[in-house]
Amino acid sequence: MAEKILSEKNLVVRHSFLELIEHWAIAISGLLLLFTGIFELPVAKRYYIITVPGLGWSADFITSLYIHYAAALVFTAVGVFHLAYHGFRGENGMIPQKGDLAASVKVIKSLFGFGQEPPMHKYLPEQRWAYVGMAFIILMLIISGLIKTYKNIYAPDMSLAIVLTATWIHNIFFVLFFLAFLAHMAAIALRPNWPMVRGIFTGKVRLDYARHRHPLWLNDMEKVDVFPVPVQPAPLPEEFPVIEKAENSPVSEMSKGVDKNNE
Amino acid sequence: MESPKISKISRRSFLQITAGVAALTGMSMPTNAQAGSGTLSTLIDLSLCDGCVDRETPACISACRRINKDKIPKVVDSIPEPWPRKTIEDWSKKQDVTNRLTPYNFIYVHKAEIAADGRRQTIFVPRRCMHCDNPACATICPFSANHKNDNGAVVINSNQCFGGAKCKDVCPWEIPQRQSGVGIYLHVLPGLMGNGVMYKCDLCNDRLKEGRLPGCVEACPRQAMIIGPKKDIEAQAQTRAQQMKGYIYGKKENGGTSTLYVSPVSFELINKTMTKKPGQPDMKPDVKRRMVGTDPLGKTVLASPVLGLAAAGVLGWFSRRKEQIKTKEKDHG
Repeated sequence: MAEKILSEKNLVVRHSFLELIEHWAIAISGLLLLFTGIFELPVAKRYYIITVPGLGWSADFITSLYIHYAAALVFTAVGVFHLAYHGFRGENGMIPQKGDLAASVKVIKSLFGFGQEPPMHKYLPEQRWAYVGMAFIILMLIISGLIKTYKNIYAPDMSLAIVLTATWIHNIFFVLFFLAFLAHMAAIALRPNWPMVRGIFTGKVRLDYARHRHPLWLNDMEKVDVFPVPVQPAPLPEEFPVIEKAENSPVSEMSKGVDKNNE
Repeated sequence: MESPKISKISRRSFLQITAGVAALTGMSMPTNAQAGSGTLSTLIDLSLCDGCVDRETPACISACRRINKDKIPKVVDSIPEPWPRKTIEDWSKKQDVTNRLTPYNFIYVHKAEIAADGRRQTIFVPRRCMHCDNPACATICPFSANHKNDNGAVVINSNQCFGGAKCKDVCPWEIPQRQSGVGIYLHVLPGLMGNGVMYKCDLCNDRLKEGRLPGCVEACPRQAMIIGPKKDIEAQAQTRAQQMKGYIYGKKENGGTSTLYVSPVSFELINKTMTKKPGQPDMKPDVKRRMVGTDPLGKTVLASPVLGLAAAGVLGWFSRRKEQIKTKEKDHG
């Protein structure tokens, strides 16, 4: 983990370079898979997509398949890498925690002006649920896609039951992936989340933003920071006795890892 | 009348047609082809097919039409207009057409007038689905409505097909034909998605399951078509081609098929008599299976989980090592 407070620049390192590469590799290959997956349906001619400049190839199913395979190669390799690498390092800050469901409801309500947002760790509670949801969708797409690829190359006469199951899982989760992508974009469009957007491009977010919205994360970092920055914790509502929770939270555990790194 | 079983095909066809050849070459008779046991192949011997010139309609076509006459349900009175491209393919009022492939006609006979070696020859070429070894029409059907069975028959499930015609686009011979106004798409989003059902020869798969012959094979009065285990049919095609100093089509075309044509005239010459038109495929020799180019990339995709795991292992080891070194350095002041 590369989490680090850069108080002189009013920034906090939120994502390591490796995490940025993982995110963008999955995002770009995922979008390519989404589009070429759509082009594997007979839509490009029917909907005149082929007339769009630069998309003349879109009705050629074999060309789309080349791109689909190339993107699937990156998508699958990076997806498996992500699970194995971060699992191996015990980084589980994006796994939902006890109470995340109720907290998610509070956060979402607050985004629409109802109630106050609870103080948060590095990741928002609904972000953790979204992560698990997206990971499950990606996993199903990868497994069904691998079966379909194997069938295409080695076993065109594979059991029809297996082929139909893999096909429909792939089709259904393709729709879910598209919806999840739209939800991801919608989350970015919400004003309170804007400061996080720069994080996924540069790896850093503003310190004052993090202090205001992710005090539990900052708390954990500052507790273990060798060069602590004077902290002015944001006033927290009494109904969120967060410090006690943070002691055993995965984020807290991760921060201890950061501590070791920084030392 | 009960039709001959597949198990009889070897005896009948091979005895009647190739007894001499077999005797000459010492080739053993193919074993009986039991339905569903192993991949089947058909052989179409163009030296035997006379196009049934004495009949109004070739026997293979008549038999095929009789067997499949109820395959297409009644077409809706008002076929929904697809949006935005308004292509409707309705053959319901032209069901009698037999000189091309249509949703109502899965086989037709091409007449090739060929002048070669100073003489004119007429060759009749029955055309239908080739039942390819690795058929793109089936493998990349988005709904897996088209599937290659383990007996080699490539079969479209008309209850699952949306009629998008992708199978026709990826088939080098553009065999499947669409009938609009029928099928599941009518019950989903008929104006926006799908456009009917694709139809083509299914090698009479239902009959094969019952141990019966495909209609065209059974009906051919000159036994120009035979069916049997793939290996035996390939050997038979090879033998016949050698005997007539002829040519084989379908063994390597589109990556290999389960339909082998044997002809005394080269397929380059036969192909020259064919102009590719809708429902009338050409017969270009050595036509490539386009998906073969994607196979190496597909194999890399299959290996990609291992690549991801290996990268995680290597990077994980390095990051842990780095942490250990840092800890040691700290411990040593």
